Amino acid sequence: MARVLLKNVVKKFGNVVAVNHVNLEVKDREFMILLGPSGCGKSTTLRLIAGLETPDEGEIWIGDRLINDIDPTKRNVAMVFQSYALYPHMTVYQNIEFPLKMSRVPKNERRRRVIEAARFLGIEDLLNRYPKQLSGGQQQRVALARAIVREPEVFLLDEPLSNLDAKLRVKMRFELRHLLHDELKVTTIYVTHDQVEAMTMADRIAVMNQGRIMQIGTPVEVFEKPANMFVAGFIGVPPMNFFYGSLVSRGKELVLDTGGLEINIPNSYTKSLQEYVGREIVMGIRPQEITIHTEPIEYAYPGKIIGYEPLGTELYIHFTIDEKTDYVAVVKQRLAINLGQQIYWRPSPSKLYFFDKKTGNAIY
Amino acid sequence: MNEATKRNLLKALWIVFVYIILTMFAFIYLSPFIRSFVASFMTWEQASKYPPEWIPHPFTIENYLKLFRLELFPRWIMNSALYAGLIVAGNIIFSSMAGYAFARLEFPGRDALFSALLALLMIPIFVTLVPNYIIIYKLGLIDNIIGLALLSLANVSSIFLMRQYFLSLPQEVFDAARLDGCGPIKAFFYIALPLAKPALGAVAVYQFLGAWNAFLGPLVFLRSPENFTLPVGLSFAFQRSMWTEYTPIIAGSLVAAAPTIILFIGLNKYLIRGIVIQAGKG
Ligand SMILES: Nc1ncnc2c1ncn2[C@@H]1O[C@H](COP(=O)(O)OP(=O)(O)OP(=O)(O)O)[C@@H](O)[C@H]1O
Ligand SMILES: [Mg+2]
Repeated sequence: MARVLLKNVVKKFGNVVAVNHVNLEVKDREFMILLGPSGCGKSTTLRLIAGLETPDEGEIWIGDRLINDIDPTKRNVAMVFQSYALYPHMTVYQNIEFPLKMSRVPKNERRRRVIEAARFLGIEDLLNRYPKQLSGGQQQRVALARAIVREPEVFLLDEPLSNLDAKLRVKMRFELRHLLHDELKVTTIYVTHDQVEAMTMADRIAVMNQGRIMQIGTPVEVFEKPANMFVAGFIGVPPMNFFYGSLVSRGKELVLDTGGLEINIPNSYTKSLQEYVGREIVMGIRPQEITIHTEPIEYAYPGKIIGYEPLGTELYIHFTIDEKTDYVAVVKQRLAINLGQQIYWRPSPSKLYFFDKKTGNAIY
Repeated sequence: MNEATKRNLLKALWIVFVYIILTMFAFIYLSPFIRSFVASFMTWEQASKYPPEWIPHPFTIENYLKLFRLELFPRWIMNSALYAGLIVAGNIIFSSMAGYAFARLEFPGRDALFSALLALLMIPIFVTLVPNYIIIYKLGLIDNIIGLALLSLANVSSIFLMRQYFLSLPQEVFDAARLDGCGPIKAFFYIALPLAKPALGAVAVYQFLGAWNAFLGPLVFLRSPENFTLPVGLSFAFQRSMWTEYTPIIAGSLVAAAPTIILFIGLNKYLIRGIVIQAGKG
């Protein structure tokens, strides 16, 4: 069994805390994705698990072994690097064979396993080529073959698709998940900053920011129930709109006073928001949950169009309510609108999110 | 004439002009060499005429024959070859290991040590000549090619070049090797060294040129004529007035320079690569 467990792991580089008290449990055979913006510590986390970096604090477990002090070679993990890191002076065959050679597997068995791995990835015809004679996609398969030939318990991948063109990336997304999750059935930790990759491939996603884990959950959970403003803003395209204001009570109703505009809050939220009355909060609405109208209707608020981006099947409409902040709505219908035009935007009453402004945490 | 053709014409004229200047400079730089080359086929009588003559008449290879009649001449060539060979081998072995350690291994005091090493570049060799002499003397290796070569088996600029080269290799390749089961030593032999061929080529060429042409070291550390390297031997022959004429000396110098010239023409891509590597990231 190859569960991976990180307990309070800290890694510092000088003053930079690259990984800050990370707790993460990856279940046996789970496909876990570490998602976060550039520099948030994803690669460092992966390298800590691989043993390429040593933690300053905390424990790392694989299965029931504490591996802090175990040599990377003996951890039974394989890693695929963003640059693929093939050995340029070795043929594809020698590249795949290399880890077996280093662990003194007998020659005949090496041969059998190399060919098996190559066949598995459909690269038998490339065995005599050198890495520089391969396309990006082929190099990636070689890197994968070199990783699976060791039959590791844990698979670590650091942005393995980021060097491929968009079309191949979509194709490989499905292939990779199928290969690792359904065929090899290994525990996989996969790093990416691409949320589409994360949403489509992961069993669970760990969203990271500035060395910390902000939320761990299934793709649906992190999308529908973000734990804080960071996750809410990071997941979803275009990002969620945030309306800052104070929560005021108007008779039986609650409203968000943005200072200029009062937004009604549906009754279904009243209970969870009760203790925030009189305090600063943030309301979040995804762009897909806003409709745009040219005439005033109930529960719609005035705004001014400041830009629009037609994307074929949908239209991004940028509007503002205070001449400062840019909000976005995504609409499917064709709308005849002009810059500077007054419109009415209406949030979908069941799809609102609220956050404590001070902590950034979601209020449910 | 329209604008475009005018511009092309100006460009062509400029190129012609540049080439004329460059050719002139090339000729100025090459003229001593050309002079030596033609003089080596002249009699001393003709070569010493003023104003100088440029066509050997009568054409003679007597100068070269004189050289080879000199009993020690083949010996000196062998000595030079041995000296250069040892130094090239030593530098390839030691500078690749030291460069690898400075670039890829982490150990306490690494950067301080490396800075200290670089500081050595600023010390003129005359400063270390006497202490080196004493060391070699105490080892009983004066007048011994091997003893002399010992002093140059490793060299700061070779180490620097190798370090820069190893730094330029992608870190992820070494990380991958680490996971595939290579400790630092295996990673050196299986990954770093095979990838370092271009840099090793540059080190070899530089060191060969330096050793083959070395004069001061061999002059100070070698005593008996049969142990001399070619440059020292030729100057010895010249000073002892083994010949009263300069033309055999000129011929000798050309013979001595031949390997370097051939190497330079054949391998200048390695030399250039060496410069490029050194100029790479710090
Ligand atoms: N070897 C190192 N020395 C110093 N600082 C480092 C080192 N490795 C990483 N860092 C720092 O640690 C932080 C996290 O880096 P890390 O590479 O883990 O980010 P990442 O999430 O993988 O980013 P990216 O998406 O850009 O790859 C960054 O601020 C980075 O500058
Ligand atoms: Mg990274």
